[in-house]
Amino acid sequence: MTKDRTGGLIFLFTGIYGFIFSIQLPLGKLNEPGPGVLPLGLSTLLGISGLLWLILGKGGGREKARMGLLGFIRKSRTPLQIVLLTSAFILLLSPLGYLMASILYLFLLFLWVSRYKLWAAAGLAIVIGGGSWYFFGKVLAVQLPKGLWI
Amino acid sequence: MDVLNNLYSGFCTALTIQNIYLCLIGCLWGTVVGVLPGVGPLIGITLLIPATFRVDPTGAIIMLAGIYYGAMYGGSTTSILMNIPGESASIVTCLDGYQMTLKGRGGAALFISAWGSWIGGTLSIIGLMLLAPVLANFAMKFGPPEMFAVFLVAFILLGSLGRSSFFKTMPMVFMGMLIGTIGTDPLTGVLRFTHGSKDLYDGLGVLPVAMGAFGIGEVLSSTEGSLARTIHKVKLRELLPTRKELQASWGPVLRGSGLGFLIGLLPGAAHILASFVSYMIEKRIAKRPDEFGTGRIEGVAGPETANNAATGGAMIPFLGMGIPTGPAPAVMMIALLIHGVQPGPLFISQQPHIFWGLVASMYLGNVILIILNLPFVGLFVNILRVPFRILFPIILLICLVGTYSVNLSTFDLGILLCFGILGYLFRKLDYDLAPFVLAMILGPSIEVAFRQSLMGSGGSFSIFWEKPIALTLIVLSCLLFAWNILRSVRSRKASWEKALEESK
Repeated sequence: MTKDRTGGLIFLFTGIYGFIFSIQLPLGKLNEPGPGVLPLGLSTLLGISGLLWLILGKGGGREKARMGLLGFIRKSRTPLQIVLLTSAFILLLSPLGYLMASILYLFLLFLWVSRYKLWAAAGLAIVIGGGSWYFFGKVLAVQLPKGLWI
Repeated sequence: MDVLNNLYSGFCTALTIQNIYLCLIGCLWGTVVGVLPGVGPLIGITLLIPATFRVDPTGAIIMLAGIYYGAMYGGSTTSILMNIPGESASIVTCLDGYQMTLKGRGGAALFISAWGSWIGGTLSIIGLMLLAPVLANFAMKFGPPEMFAVFLVAFILLGSLGRSSFFKTMPMVFMGMLIGTIGTDPLTGVLRFTHGSKDLYDGLGVLPVAMGAFGIGEVLSSTEGSLARTIHKVKLRELLPTRKELQASWGPVLRGSGLGFLIGLLPGAAHILASFVSYMIEKRIAKRPDEFGTGRIEGVAGPETANNAATGGAMIPFLGMGIPTGPAPAVMMIALLIHGVQPGPLFISQQPHIFWGLVASMYLGNVILIILNLPFVGLFVNILRVPFRILFPIILLICLVGTYSVNLSTFDLGILLCFGILGYLFRKLDYDLAPFVLAMILGPSIEVAFRQSLMGSGGSFSIFWEKPIALTLIVLSCLLFAWNILRSVRSRKASWEKALEESK
């Protein structure tokens, strides 16, 4: 699928989603427009734009701008690893606390994505994680999650 | 005289020990985030918002503005020395700046870039000082129909000024506006698209969305390729440009100042556009345009001056009308709102000490920045010696903590990641993200203005053409819309014809 068509598909789905949920909102009258007017109008416009890109987004030179799913996944291996680790960090932030979660997060990033050796990854994670905890928590007085230990 | 008196009182505010210190911190941090690829002014400002909670609003905006214009200074360093734009406005600088480095003139490129940034920055502050109060006074006459018309022009401009075509940018604007409607309707209290989640009652925060789309999205894109980066060393004595280089850069610097300031007034990716347009103009008027891209000083001087001049221009609609023209001014606006200060037409008359204190601090900041970016440039270059594979986890952590610190919410972190993925995907699909984020910020305001106008007129649309200001702006937006459609259709037709010929 071309880049334009992929974009069109995203817009079309977002438009359909917006249309389904905004039609349920009060539309009001002309002298008192309701909260559904703008979302409905925008969803319609978005859906039409998406449909147009889906139909027309294939012309000539644009064919070169293809993005195969397999190629995309292969090229996006590192970003996918980062997304996975960041999701885990967000989920573990409250139960583990900032210090533990950030050290663990950084350790896995350095080890898995940056490909540092085990001891180097651990050292970097402790120094940067601990440093960020001190800077944000103590210097900037940000209320970081405490979790189980600290 | 009034301006001079106000400026004097502004200097009295800006030259207190605390505000000089905050300005210095802002400029220093701005240069650092500008130098670091993947960390722009947006992340830099967001990160230091919690640090402003302990200071007064004047000190807070002085520091945050310092980060904003400081990042423009710092952004050129990586473009020139590494061929990696430290900040998106410095993309064009890579073309000739890096070529100069390869020829051993990287130091001169850095000097001209800092010098041009200083001239552009200073001239744009003069423009800000003179124009913002005039615009604010004018905007005081605006009711909901005029505000609706202003926003309409802004939205059409958002569509036309994106890096992609009008047809490609407008869906991003619609999507941004649609996402901006999530949460409680400001006029009726009806919940929209919340699906029962209390976290969505106040809508999606601008910070997690902007930080995700720009910060996380940028990191994800950057880590696609190799994590290794090459840095060229620059010695202090290499910083001095030759007389020929200095003479050649005068014209681009002056043209870039005027152009950057004017483009800065427009919503969208003004800094990027300013540097790009400046480069194109310099190339067009050059005697040997074919030499551009091979290390011409004009290709560095013009764009770098223009993107700095755009910062002063961008402050005018933001402070004078409460309309942020880019993600970074939008975050500054949020910071001011946290401090109980509402930028808009009444801001300058009701809070003159903040406005004039900020203007005076910008003069001071520009002097600090030229010092930081010339004799101390080597110091900042050393930051780049930190390998990218160490740097990107730090950038990710900064984005996460910066977002968390504002509302202390893990839900915001989820939003950050989701929009990071979306930002990454849209980057891959060649869509411009600035119109999307700006439409999300400005969307609720245009909706309120539109509905209030119709309520005031009893449902009659004539309210939009009965008032001369609103009528003028609506006619302008129609013309802009028609011009954009025509332009896009022509370019698509040309590409189709070319493709047809190729296939034959």
